[in-house]
Amino acid sequence: MTRVFDRTDSSVVVVIGSGAGGGTVANELAQKGIDVVCLEAGKRLTLAEVVNDPPTMDERMGWHDERDGKPVWLCKTVGGTTMRWSGVSPRFEKHETQALSTYDGLEDTGLIDWPLRFEELEHYYDLAEDKMGVSGTHGTPASAENNNYKVLKAGAQKIGYSRITSGRMSINSVARHGRPACRQIGFCNSGCAIGAKWSTLYTEIPAAEKTGHFELRSECMVMTINHDKAGRVSGVVYKDASGTMHEQKARAVCVAGNVVETTRILLNSATSKYPTGLANSSDQVGRNYMRHMFGFALAIMPKPVNFHRGARQSGLVYDEQDHNPERGFAGGYLFETLSLDPLNVAAFVGGWGPGTSQYNDSYTHLAGLFLVGEDPPQADNRIRLHPDRKDHNGLPVPVLDYTDHANTIAMREHGVARARAIYESLGAAEFWGGEGPPVGCHNMGVARMSANPEDGVTNGWGQTHDIDNLFVSDGSVIPTSGAANPTLTIVALAIRQADYIAEQMKKRNI
Amino acid sequence: MNNETTSRRRFLVSALAISSVATGAFASSLLRESAAWAKDPDNPLARLARLLFPHAALPDSVYADVAARALAMTADNPEAQGLLLAAEQALDAQVAGGDWYEADEEAQLAAMEAVQGEPFFPAASNLFMFTLYTHEECWKAIGYPGSSREYGGYLERGFDDIDWLPETAS
Repeated sequence: MTRVFDRTDSSVVVVIGSGAGGGTVANELAQKGIDVVCLEAGKRLTLAEVVNDPPTMDERMGWHDERDGKPVWLCKTVGGTTMRWSGVSPRFEKHETQALSTYDGLEDTGLIDWPLRFEELEHYYDLAEDKMGVSGTHGTPASAENNNYKVLKAGAQKIGYSRITSGRMSINSVARHGRPACRQIGFCNSGCAIGAKWSTLYTEIPAAEKTGHFELRSECMVMTINHDKAGRVSGVVYKDASGTMHEQKARAVCVAGNVVETTRILLNSATSKYPTGLANSSDQVGRNYMRHMFGFALAIMPKPVNFHRGARQSGLVYDEQDHNPERGFAGGYLFETLSLDPLNVAAFVGGWGPGTSQYNDSYTHLAGLFLVGEDPPQADNRIRLHPDRKDHNGLPVPVLDYTDHANTIAMREHGVARARAIYESLGAAEFWGGEGPPVGCHNMGVARMSANPEDGVTNGWGQTHDIDNLFVSDGSVIPTSGAANPTLTIVALAIRQADYIAEQMKKRNI
Repeated sequence: MNNETTSRRRFLVSALAISSVATGAFASSLLRESAAWAKDPDNPLARLARLLFPHAALPDSVYADVAARALAMTADNPEAQGLLLAAEQALDAQVAGGDWYEADEEAQLAAMEAVQGEPFFPAASNLFMFTLYTHEECWKAIGYPGSSREYGGYLERGFDDIDWLPETAS
C-alpha cells in the first residue's frame, strides 16, 4: 500500500529524517490520514544486513559526512539513531523541566523552564512507552538481569542506593507487537539483529506504509527548505541517490535531523527574507547545544563477570538524579550499565603499556557503567556553518563549538567517585573512571522550545515561532537536558506534535 | 638482526617514505609488499605494537600480523603512512646508535615515553589498538568471543550466570 506522491503535490507534510523524532511524527500523522513524504539521507537496511561487527555496521549506518568538532554518533540510515541507540528509556523528572526555577543562580548558563505542563508530558510518556515496549511499563516485566547489572545492583545497594531497576529499556522483555523478546545477543549499538530493540526501521516506518498515506524516500539528502512570498515554507530541496536535485512541495515541513543536520538545514536555507536562516530571528538556531554529562567506569572484579553477554545497557540507578546542591553541582545524573568490546576497553582506559592492557588481560572479569547527567545550556555551545568549507554535496560543513560547563565537570567527578565506591565495595582490584574518548553524545538543544520567542526557536509544540508551518521534531527542541537519555522524550514530544499538527490542519491554521 | 632483515627493514622505511608522497596504485602496491614483509615477526612495527599493548599470552606472530594489518589499513592514506614513518624515525632518533629496534627494552620504552606527546604517537598507537583489539587471536586469548548472533545470543549461554555476588534485596 506504499503510496507515491507527486513532487508537485503541495498537500503533503514533508518530514526530514526517519529516526526517533521523524519516524514517529511521520507515522502518527499517517495514522490520522494525513499524507506524508519522509526524506531520509540513508539507505534502508534489512535485519539480514545487521551483523555483530561494529566497524562494519558503522560503515553501513554511521554518518560520515565532513564535520568540524567532536563525534556526534549520528546515523545515516532509515531508522536514524534508533538503529544505534542502547534503548535506555527513563523519563525526565518534573524538576528537570523547570531548570530555571529549580537550579537558581547557575552562572554562565541559559537555563529556561519548559513551556509545557509536565502532567501533559506524562500522558505522552505513557503513549511513547506503550509504543516502544519499554520494559517494566504497560504490563511488561522488567528486563532480565544480566551479569553486569547484577554487579551494579549489588554494589549500589552496598553503598546505600535503593532506586535500582533493570526496567525502562525499549528492548522487548517479552514478545510484543510482532517483535520478539531480547535474546541477549549484545551488539545493541550495531543494530538489533532480531528487532527486539525498538527502532523506527521496523516499527513506525512499515506501520506508516500500511496506512496508504506515507511515502519513504531513502537516500535523499536534503539541501534546503524553500518558502513562498508570504514567508511560509513551501517545499524541500533534496538530492536523490543518483545525484539529481528535486523539490518536493509541502503544506508543512517537520525537521528531524538529529540536531546537527537540523541546524544545518535551517541555517543553510537563508534567503533575502530570512538572511540568518529559517526560524532564526531570535539568533537562537544552533545555540544552547547540549550533549549531556558523559562519564564511564570500568572495574576489574575479583571473579568472572563476562559483561559482554547480553544487552549492552540493561539497568539503571536513579539515586543521584535528584537536584541536591550540597554535592557541589546543579541537577543530577544516572548510573547505567555498559559493556564494551576489547577495542573500546583500550580506547576508554586510554594510554598505553601494562596499565592499559591489564584491563583487557582481565576482560572476563570486567564490570562497567555509564554516567549520564544534566548538561546546562550555554549560548556559546553552538552549531554553526563553516564560512568557507563545503562538503561533497556542496553543503557548508557544520562546526560544533562545545566546552563542558564547570557544573558538568564537578558532576562527572562526583559520579566517577561514586562508581569507584560501587565497585570497590565488591572487592574490585583495579578501577578506571573518567570522561573517556569522545565516542558519542546525546544531541539536544539548538532549536529549543520557549514561552518567549526571544529565548528560543519553537513554541511548546515544536512549531517555530517565526513560521507557522515549519516544525522541529527531534531533540533540538529540548530546552534543558535533564539526566535522562533523550529518545523516550523525543518520541513523546513527536506524538504530541502530531496531535497538534493534525488539529492545526483541521482548523486550517496551517 | 641479520643483514637480510636489516635490508628488509630499510625497504619498509623507503616504501613508507615513497608512498607517503605518492598516490594511487603505486603507493598501494608498495604497501601490499611491505605488508607481506611485515608478517615476519622480527620487525620494528610488531615490536612497537607489543610494547604499546603488551599481552603475555600473545605470541610475536600475532603482533606481526597486527602490524601488517595496520600497514594494510594505511594503503590508501598517505597521511597515515607519513605518521607511521615519523613515529619510526623519531624513535630511532631517541636511541644511541640511531636504531630503536636494536636497542634493549628499557631504552625502547624510554624512547616511546620521550615521544608520546608528539602527534604521530597517538596516531600510530590508535592504529595498532584497532588492529590488535579486533584481531581474532587476541580475542581468543583474552576471552572475548565476538559475534553471538549465530549462536542465538547468550539467553541460554550464561548471560546471568554470575554466582559470587552477595545477596541483594529485590
